[in-house]
Amino acid sequence: MTGRRSFVIALVATALLVGTAYWRIHRASEVSAASDQPIPFSHRIHAQAGVQCLFCHSSALRSDVAGIPSVQKCMGCHQTIAADRESVKILADYWQRQEPIHWQPVNTMPDFVFFSHQPHLGAGLSCETCHGNVGQMDVARQQTNMDMGWCLDCHLKQPQEKTARLADCLLCHK
Amino acid sequence: MTGAGVLTGMSPTVRRVALEPFVRPPEEELPGRATWYASTCRQCPAGCGILVRVINGRARKIEGNPAHPLNRGKLCARGQAGLQVLYNPDRLQNAVRQSGGRGSRQFKPIQWTEAIDQLSSAFKSLGAPSRVAFLGGLMSDHLLTLVSGFLKALGAPPPVLFDLHTALEGRAEATDMARRWFGDSQAQGVPLPLYDIARAQVVFSFGANLLETWMSPVAQGRDYGLMRQGQAGGRGLLVQFEPRLSATAASADEWIPVKPGTEGLIALGLGRIIVEDNLGQVGSHSEHAHLYRNVSVTDVADASGVSVETLRRLANAFAAADHSVAIPGGYLAGLGNGSQTMDAVLALNVLMRRLGREGGVFLPHQVPAEPFASSASVSSFAQVTDLIERLKAGQVDILLIHGCNPLYELPQWTGIAEAIRRVPLVISFSSCVDETAVLADLVLPDHTYLEGWGYQVVSPGADRPAVSGQQPVVRPLYDTRATGDVMLALAARIGGQVAQALPWSDEVAFLEQNSAQLLGTSSGIYDAHTPAGFWSLWRQHGGWWTEKPLRDEPEAIGTPTGPLQVSPAVFAGDAQQHPFHLIPYPSLALSDGRGANLPWLQEMPDPMTTASWNTWVELNPATARSLQVDNNDVVKVVSPYGELQAPVVVYPGIRPDAVAIPIGQGHRDYGRFAQGRGSNPLALLAPPSEQARGSWLPWGATRVRIERTGRKQELARVESLDGAGREKLR
Repeated sequence: MTGRRSFVIALVATALLVGTAYWRIHRASEVSAASDQPIPFSHRIHAQAGVQCLFCHSSALRSDVAGIPSVQKCMGCHQTIAADRESVKILADYWQRQEPIHWQPVNTMPDFVFFSHQPHLGAGLSCETCHGNVGQMDVARQQTNMDMGWCLDCHLKQPQEKTARLADCLLCHK
Repeated sequence: MTGAGVLTGMSPTVRRVALEPFVRPPEEELPGRATWYASTCRQCPAGCGILVRVINGRARKIEGNPAHPLNRGKLCARGQAGLQVLYNPDRLQNAVRQSGGRGSRQFKPIQWTEAIDQLSSAFKSLGAPSRVAFLGGLMSDHLLTLVSGFLKALGAPPPVLFDLHTALEGRAEATDMARRWFGDSQAQGVPLPLYDIARAQVVFSFGANLLETWMSPVAQGRDYGLMRQGQAGGRGLLVQFEPRLSATAASADEWIPVKPGTEGLIALGLGRIIVEDNLGQVGSHSEHAHLYRNVSVTDVADASGVSVETLRRLANAFAAADHSVAIPGGYLAGLGNGSQTMDAVLALNVLMRRLGREGGVFLPHQVPAEPFASSASVSSFAQVTDLIERLKAGQVDILLIHGCNPLYELPQWTGIAEAIRRVPLVISFSSCVDETAVLADLVLPDHTYLEGWGYQVVSPGADRPAVSGQQPVVRPLYDTRATGDVMLALAARIGGQVAQALPWSDEVAFLEQNSAQLLGTSSGIYDAHTPAGFWSLWRQHGGWWTEKPLRDEPEAIGTPTGPLQVSPAVFAGDAQQHPFHLIPYPSLALSDGRGANLPWLQEMPDPMTTASWNTWVELNPATARSLQVDNNDVVKVVSPYGELQAPVVVYPGIRPDAVAIPIGQGHRDYGRFAQGRGSNPLALLAPPSEQARGSWLPWGATRVRIERTGRKQELARVESLDGAGREKLR
């Protein structure tokens, strides 16, 4: 009797754990849905106008993070360009109030990964390799799940003298 | 339980956070990359060099500056907590006036232009320039220079400088002592002596809590480490003379629990033995024998409770070492016979020819440029009481207060509250509403030190002349304004001589000009071809100092010609009615109470009792037994001048005839973390006796009695001293 009760409890506990884990992971992937941005920003329009990725995400070459442009940088163009569009008016209101814009992250990494853009760009990768063709997207979305297998898949395809270092745990998990 | 653990373990690896780019990015800002700024810590007057790590325009971490000659990369807990000064939720975010009248605590924001208009019209309608008073505390040296220049051009009396921290470390009395011994009659300012702890073999510390709050604790802590590691050819010996076992005494080889007020007698006794027995390798003592003519070693032993044998043993240890030094500490300044005691301690160094010798006593070498020639010396307590009398007599129309909180830091009998109420216009520059700001008409918040400019001449502590430079590491978070800029704006409005004396457009122009005075000094760690280049290097290094150590040898030209005297210390309160000596001591975390609004420091356990977040009363176990009280029993401490209630900590490290209470709590205002917590032991202090002649605040010269209340209050403690209470945890 006792054994059976323990079995039921264990079963319920396992179900609870698996359920929670699924919910957690599912929720984490939801982060990338990027539907609730404060301004309906379209990458497509900007790319079609000939704006390079690095013009706005200018620290990708020099820093860990690519960076999101300051309100000042946005206004540098939008003082005059498309100033009558609704979405640009929202931007101008932020500038008027001198208030920062709270963007929702689109591409995310777990806290225990120390990712840096700088060496990847230094190795000659283009932005699209990891982020997909953002220039075609009205709403930016994460294109790959960016898990460890995906990282290693590329790291292990590098020239042989580099793979030992590129597959070292401590490279990303410091 | 397991489920909860697993759930916690599975807490999100990807946090749902918003990205907040700048509205206007700061110069040189690179997202994701840290920028380190060299600046100066302002949590105490020591002036340690700091490096602040800034990411995305936010200050994240403060470290010691490894290149700085004072702290050499080290930093204390109070310095680390500087971030909470910057991010304190109770900071004033703009200039305010009290809309419901002074004391109403109803603050309405006002525009800075309006505030400066009000100030300048008050100055213009001033009857006589002498009707202005400036009360300053922990101020940057550059601000003090600006304010002094302003007051001088106006024809007003110079600023009065007082804060409790410097009173507790005995800075004013130590300055007096240095002037008596090392200065000639014309001497303006003799710098504070420098004790070469690092190279000493024997250190006798008379109430100098040199590892906690006294003078330059970070530098002294480093020196203590070097002394222990045998810089002078063996492990150094530290003997601490004081009635309560401080954290410094706990780190000493020997703690001599002296009867309060007899520290000076012990120093005289040691000197007498050295002279009598002709101890040491310095030849004849005949030159100084007269100092000890009237001393009887047995009388000293009787009065102090330290046996003749112990005195002989200590005198031998002190004299036998080639490098020994005796340090008169801050605790002595709180005694009625403080100056005599400090003289008696310093005389041991003179007797053993330790002036200007390795491991002995030095004077700091002056910084070779006029603006940095002397560091600010604090005012004597007599000057503070003079100011209070002027305020009370209605002789002051405008009172400006910066960097101190006299309503908290002075006992009630000084009448400071009533005096401030008599002044028609009171301006506070405090960055949050403290007890004094509550009595101000206008509060014009200064930047915090991580947002503001400044410099400080390091004195004492470093082995070379040094100026610590302070620069903003972040843009000001709120609409605050540098007090230096407020004074410059005010001077421009007043016009005439005042505007001529302060011609700078802002304080940065003033700082740049001052720093350039050191241009071309060959002894510095750097030099430049242009003032702009020099200013750039100044900010890069976090100040200026010489490449090589440079200290002066003091000359004891003021050595008394007659015998040294230490009269019995007078304590307020009848010994029958009030049987215990009260020892208020600066809290390692909260200092004199200025750290009470920082939760990190509130949380930090006291190193000796492990208590935090409150005030407590330390009683010897025998005393506690005789009073029938135990840990956490609330007692009433009654002096002839006031009383307070606090829970007991039974503490073996204190004499049975003394009680100790940490200073720092008991704020009525000063933000959510400080107010309504514990009690302020300053309420118990007696006014100066005839003996102290009102020249200093005798914070260690009061007797108290202890009364039981029957109540209990559990103190937050990490552990008990005897292991009792651990069973509760099981």
